[in-house]
Amino acid sequence: MKNNQSIWAMMLILSILITGCVKATAEPTQVPTSVPPVEEPTKVPTKVPTEVPTAIPTEAEPIKLGVIVSLGDISGINGQNGALLAQEEINAAGGILGRPLEVIVMDDEMTPEKGAAAVEKLVTVDNVDAFVINSFSGVHMAQIPTLKKYGTVTIVTGAASHLCEEAIGTDADWYFHLHSWDYMQGQGQKAGWLAITEKYPDLEFGSVFMAYEEGAFGTASFQFSQVLFEDMATLSGESFKSAAMGGGDYSAVLEHAKAENADSFTWVGYAADALPILEQAKAINYAPPFFVGAPPGWPPDFGDSPLSEGVIAYEVWADALTEVSDVSKDFYDSYVDLYGSGPDNYLAALVYSAVHILAEGMERAGTLEADALITALEETEYVAPTMEVITFSPSMIIKHQAPLTPMIAQYQGGELEVLYPWDRATSELIYPFPSWEGR
Amino acid sequence: MVLILSIFFPIYAGAYPQRVATTIVMYATLALSWDMMFRSGQPSLSIAGFFGLGGYAAALTFLDWEINPLISIGIGSVFSFMIAFILGLVILRIRGLYFAIATMALSEIFRVIVINWHGITGGHSGKALPSAIFDGDSARIYWLFLGLAILTAIVSEIFQRSRIHFALTSIRNNEIVAKSSGIDVFKYLVVVFGLTSALQGLVGGAYVHSYAFISPEGSFHFNFVLLPVTMALFGGIYGTIGPIVGTVILGVIGEYLKLKLPYGHLLVYGVIIVIVILFMPKGIVGTVKEKLHRR
Amino acid sequence: MQLPGIFRQRKYQIAFALIVFVVLLVFWKPTVLIYGVQRAGLYASIAIPMALVLGVVGILNIAHGDFMMIGAYLAYWLSVLYGSDPLVAMIPVFVAMFVAGALTYKITIKHVLDAPEFSQLLLTFGLAMILEQLANLLWTSQPRKLHVDYASSSVTIGSLSFGVFEFTNVAIAILILIALMLFLKRTRMGQAALAAGQNPRGAKLVGINVEQAYLLLFSISIAIVSAIGGLFLARHSIFPLVGSSYTMRSFALIAMAGIGNLPGILFCSLGLGVAESFIMSFKGYSGWADIVFFALILLVIIIRSIRRY
Repeated sequence: MKNNQSIWAMMLILSILITGCVKATAEPTQVPTSVPPVEEPTKVPTKVPTEVPTAIPTEAEPIKLGVIVSLGDISGINGQNGALLAQEEINAAGGILGRPLEVIVMDDEMTPEKGAAAVEKLVTVDNVDAFVINSFSGVHMAQIPTLKKYGTVTIVTGAASHLCEEAIGTDADWYFHLHSWDYMQGQGQKAGWLAITEKYPDLEFGSVFMAYEEGAFGTASFQFSQVLFEDMATLSGESFKSAAMGGGDYSAVLEHAKAENADSFTWVGYAADALPILEQAKAINYAPPFFVGAPPGWPPDFGDSPLSEGVIAYEVWADALTEVSDVSKDFYDSYVDLYGSGPDNYLAALVYSAVHILAEGMERAGTLEADALITALEETEYVAPTMEVITFSPSMIIKHQAPLTPMIAQYQGGELEVLYPWDRATSELIYPFPSWEGR
Repeated sequence: MVLILSIFFPIYAGAYPQRVATTIVMYATLALSWDMMFRSGQPSLSIAGFFGLGGYAAALTFLDWEINPLISIGIGSVFSFMIAFILGLVILRIRGLYFAIATMALSEIFRVIVINWHGITGGHSGKALPSAIFDGDSARIYWLFLGLAILTAIVSEIFQRSRIHFALTSIRNNEIVAKSSGIDVFKYLVVVFGLTSALQGLVGGAYVHSYAFISPEGSFHFNFVLLPVTMALFGGIYGTIGPIVGTVILGVIGEYLKLKLPYGHLLVYGVIIVIVILFMPKGIVGTVKEKLHRR
Repeated sequence: MQLPGIFRQRKYQIAFALIVFVVLLVFWKPTVLIYGVQRAGLYASIAIPMALVLGVVGILNIAHGDFMMIGAYLAYWLSVLYGSDPLVAMIPVFVAMFVAGALTYKITIKHVLDAPEFSQLLLTFGLAMILEQLANLLWTSQPRKLHVDYASSSVTIGSLSFGVFEFTNVAIAILILIALMLFLKRTRMGQAALAAGQNPRGAKLVGINVEQAYLLLFSISIAIVSAIGGLFLARHSIFPLVGSSYTMRSFALIAMAGIGNLPGILFCSLGLGVAESFIMSFKGYSGWADIVFFALILLVIIIRSIRRY
């Protein structure tokens, strides 16, 4: 009796431990909830570290940049690649202020404690002069108290949750955010749709059905979209369990969408959902006029499937940009030279840009001293490989926000073509979404 | 001696080792609290649940009532205890595997409730606290967690050296015999369940205050079940030293590996677990004890 | 009023209620039945090999779902490199993973059979971690998917179109069950293995090579679940952690059916799959499907424990 029970016991424990492993590493929580009213500013003293280089260095002591990414996830690996590529370019061009740049990468392991510990280590052990942080919101929240303690100039290329903005507060001059906040992301999308419906007046865009994954990311996206699209289209939605979380059955959601027959079907989930949801849509013979996907990233082989034709995506980076922008092309070519294949994820370009922005800021300031650097960074006007001109201006709470304009892109012939903004467009819209026959 | 070392450690070490040590100490506390319940033969998988509840209670009372953070942590613990006690009265009629599933279901339910009650709890995205306890001073935070760990160790030892030890062990071995020896099995189980959950709530509250935010995924994360249980099993169960040793060893190895092998460290971690179990099936402390006894 | 004799028995009452429910579904929400059954097929296919190992060898293989993941990746690469069809690839994967399973057994599992149960679990947990991390290292966390035309094949009845490919899950599950049951009950090796599982010492006394029996069963279990990876690949994205949620589900199903009750797993999967589909079919309630999962299992376990005591 006892034997059986404890067998069971342990068995269950450990099997559940494994499920934990899934959840533990498979939950990139990027975007949480609704737009909150601005809370009172947080009263946190910002201690400004003074890394004042004494006179002109006789030996080239490197300038250290702490880069925190999630190496267990493809976005983190891309971020690291972008940072190291930038490091190479900067050093090949003579370094910063005559000193070489040294990028020190640390893994945040996608857990709050380790993320915070990474910050501590980089400041106290490595004595970094600035940070580029690419952690998810959940992890970033834990880093914020530590970052505030030291006040090192930081560019954050991740963390979309408005909660992070609240936690940082109004006094953190050293904090630069190079990513859209969750309440901003819909605005870019909406602007795109407005422009598109203007250009193609025969288009119907009166109703949208949004299938969103049931976690923080999907729920928040849906809630913000509800607010943003209010005056433009009727929005109805339903949650589903993403394949990344052990779900992957969209039949219920698709059936309801089909019954509602909206002008546009949008799904908010993860890359693992991209193809299966198309396959299930085909199986129930549902081909809405617009089939839009909004995951944080797409699977690398998505274009290979004939089902991808006509799928619309919101992206910050597309390989197609290399056709319309020299900056993009140079970035892409250098990346391929160094790593053998193109970037998988927009974070490569973003972290790359962040490192360059910091380098340029330091050059402009002529010093690493925080106040001067901050002033210099405020003057940033950097043309990124994403074709964004990056400048910093205040957002709801913080002073230095650089929003990203999501492009509206469409998979055509296996490639992701840019539709909007018009100055980056590489192709025209295919509408309506092609029928399933023959695919 | 180990105690003295661990108390004075932060004075000599920098902020980063303090952070690592804090995490290790925290997991040691959780591992130990789990083991204490497990000595009764009941595997509880509700660590994350009460950790999260304690954390949320501490954070929300801190935000709404503006009290001292330490007091709010205490409140968090009491809250966990109360909920555990009440629910324990219901589910501690179930045994073994079924009990484990029930506790897991409880944790899930707590999480879902917290998410849905977003008026109070901030829903999916949670809430930010205005500042971290002690203004984020790593040394003081470490001492806080160390204090909790020492407290848990003391409670664990009390369990080990008192009548409770016999009660729990006999319940674990054969409940029917235990009952007929006059042990009020139910009473013991509920009390132990409540106490261990209270300890988990304490840690949860401290955690929330160290990082200044609460969120469903952050506070109810499955890691808080997975890792403590693994570390306890690895180190050796049914004792005070085992879980602590297991946590320290695995924690230090894990951190070290991460620094040396940014890409493969978890793989090596898994390999180490496998190898150790192959050669030391009773967990590290268990095997060591065995060897000592044989002499 | 007296019900006709047969309906007075509890068992038949339940069966009748179920039949009524099913008929209702067919007319009211046929998709619930269709997708529920398909899903059940997948759950059962994965759970049954795990139950085999658990019931006979007595080991809970936490790495079970991860072996499926490895099988899926193997099938993926066979497809990408040699252009084979994932379903066809199931065969070489089966063979390869049979060997891999045997090796795993020899190197690791064998040694902990006599150890306390939790050590066995910790071991398989370590194995799971190794498999997951290996996959992450070699193939990154990006999800991959093959496109196969037949995966989205569908049938249209009236105004209802639904996918039919996933009925293969059901077919495979039934196939696996029948094959295993035949093997265990009819072949000498199978019977020997069963005997070894029930009473290892007694089996040894009568000359059964328990060691070999365990080895065989474990390897078969790994081989089957890895082969299923190929089937899985055709309709799902794969990524290193894709297997673990299925391990948990399988375990819960085994708990529901009772250890050693292989056919029971099929029925429990059906119940679970249809229940999940049913909940999800109501707009806005799909978030509850998870809770339903726990509730159902809890219910069955509680009922069974009440009956026992």
